[in-house]
Order: sequence, then structure tokens, then C-alpha cells
Amino acid sequence: MKVAVIQFPGSNCDQDTVWALGIVGMKAELVWHTETSLELFSAAILPGGFSYGDYLRAGALAKFSPVMGEVKRLAERGNPVIGICNGFQALTEAGLLPGALLANTNLHYTCKDVYMRVERTDSPFTFAYQQGQVLRVPIAHGEGRYYADPDVLEQLEAGGQIVFRYAPSPSGSGVGGEGNPNGSLHDIAGIVSERGNVLGLMPHPERAVERVLGGTDGLGLFESLKAALEVVA
Amino acid sequence: MKYHATILIELKNGILDPQGRAVEGVLQGLGYSAQNVRVGRVLEMELDVPSESEAHSKALEIAKALANPVMEVFTVEAIKPLQEA
Repeated sequence: MKVAVIQFPGSNCDQDTVWALGIVGMKAELVWHTETSLELFSAAILPGGFSYGDYLRAGALAKFSPVMGEVKRLAERGNPVIGICNGFQALTEAGLLPGALLANTNLHYTCKDVYMRVERTDSPFTFAYQQGQVLRVPIAHGEGRYYADPDVLEQLEAGGQIVFRYAPSPSGSGVGGEGNPNGSLHDIAGIVSERGNVLGLMPHPERAVERVLGGTDGLGLFESLKAALEVVA
Repeated sequence: MKYHATILIELKNGILDPQGRAVEGVLQGLGYSAQNVRVGRVLEMELDVPSESEAHSKALEIAKALANPVMEVFTVEAIKPLQEA
């Protein structure tokens, strides 16, 4: 029950992700992007960062890495695959999730805490949360504006594939402001694939797993993943 | 036979182009009446293939692999034969 954390040249949240998995008692290993087998792993996480320097487009060149064939195979087998921030961008580029992440409407690289609402708790990534729970998690991106054609958005809504949505601050002011930090359509912060086993999200749950880091609202995602893998195993 | 290929990848109309917007602001500051400035990408490469039509189809294949159909459009701008050294 090991989780592969994929390292692309330019990944920079890889160690944090391994750390977060360790906190909930999961075994995790860093896997270099040229690896061609993930046979020993039951889940994979594409971490945040700037894979290939974000050249061409954020996440665009990562999709050609040799390991991506294996990530696709894991996803096709129904195993959990998560893309966080740059990992989310890479999953959309690779076609494992629909849509694309465009430049934030404010044109700024935005690094701050935001709020997101848990839209469903029957996914392998959200078991541990309450329906409608509002989580405080950091974002750090310049291209996080979720975009898709209207028919794709409709499918996402109808299929319950939007698992996390940006939300205004529960206290009504301060952190989070109006909620949506980047102009994402339908306030989308995170979506799952049609089958529900591939998750992409722009906020960084791995940066919210210890009180000393400013909050622990991200822990539930990793606890959920652990529970999901235990059910399968 | 070697051919020089030029591929142009642009954001679709309607997709916010931050680079275009920044350049537009500067141009207007300089007194130009430039509007709707868009910044695309030009990729140039040499392809070693038997014919010009094959160079074109390879360039198209490469453009398709590199562009993101959700937000971008692409064209093969030019294929020119290169003189053998």
C-alpha cells in the first residue's frame, strides 16, 4: 500500500507531499519521472512545482515523461491518482482530467490561504470530511483558473465531479475574501474524473497538515486516501 | 532531405492572454492605437523527411502534440527546403 510521489524536473512540493503522507501513516516513495513501472504502488500523486520550468505551458511537457504511461495505467485500473497544483495542470494536459488551467484573471501569481467547500464526501479523497465543510488551505499559482467548454462544465456538474469549490470566508471577511481567487469557472478548486478515482486540485492540502504550518484542514484528504486504499487492500 | 518548419501556436479567441494584455498596455502608453494584442508562440525546427508534404504532415503532428486543444489553436506557417551542406 505504497504511494508514488512523482518527481519531475522542477517539482518542488514532492518532499512536502511525502511528509504529509507520512503524517497519516502511509508509506510513500519519490519516483523519478523517467521510471517506467509503478507496479509496486497502489496510488500516485503528481506534486506541485514547475515541471520543466513551466515551459510551453504549465504541466505541458510533463505529460510526455515516461512515467506518465504508468500513471495512466494506474488510473485506468481504478487506483487513486492525485494531481496537486502543477500536478493538476499536468493531469489536464495528459487528458486524465477534462478542461485546462488558464492564467488567473487578476494576472498575478497568487500565494495565500483560501477557503474551499467539500461538495461530496463519497469520494476516495473526501471520506474524512463533512458534506459542505469549508476548509482553509493555501494556494500558490499563476495559472489556476479552471476552464472548460460549457458542455464539459455541465457534465462535471451533472456527474458530481466537482469535489472542491472555492468559498467565501466563513467569518464573512479577511482570508478568502469573496472566495474565488483566480476566476475559476463555477468556482472550481478541484475535480475528479468521471470514474471518480483521479483527483486534481489547485490548493495545496499537503501544506495544511500541521498546526505549526498554520492549519490542518488538508489532513482529511490524506486520511481519506489511506482509508480508501485500506478498503481495496 | 531536410526541411525547415515553422509552427504557430496561439491562444483561442476569448481566452485571456496576459502577455498580450501587458504588451497592449505598453504599446498604448507609447502612443500606439494597438488593440486586442495577442502573443503566440513560434516553434522552428528542422525535419529530416523524404518530401515536402511529409514535412508538412510531421509538423502538423508535432503541433497537435504540443498544443492544448482546450485553449489553443495551431497552424503550420511554413515549410521550406534546406540546402544540403
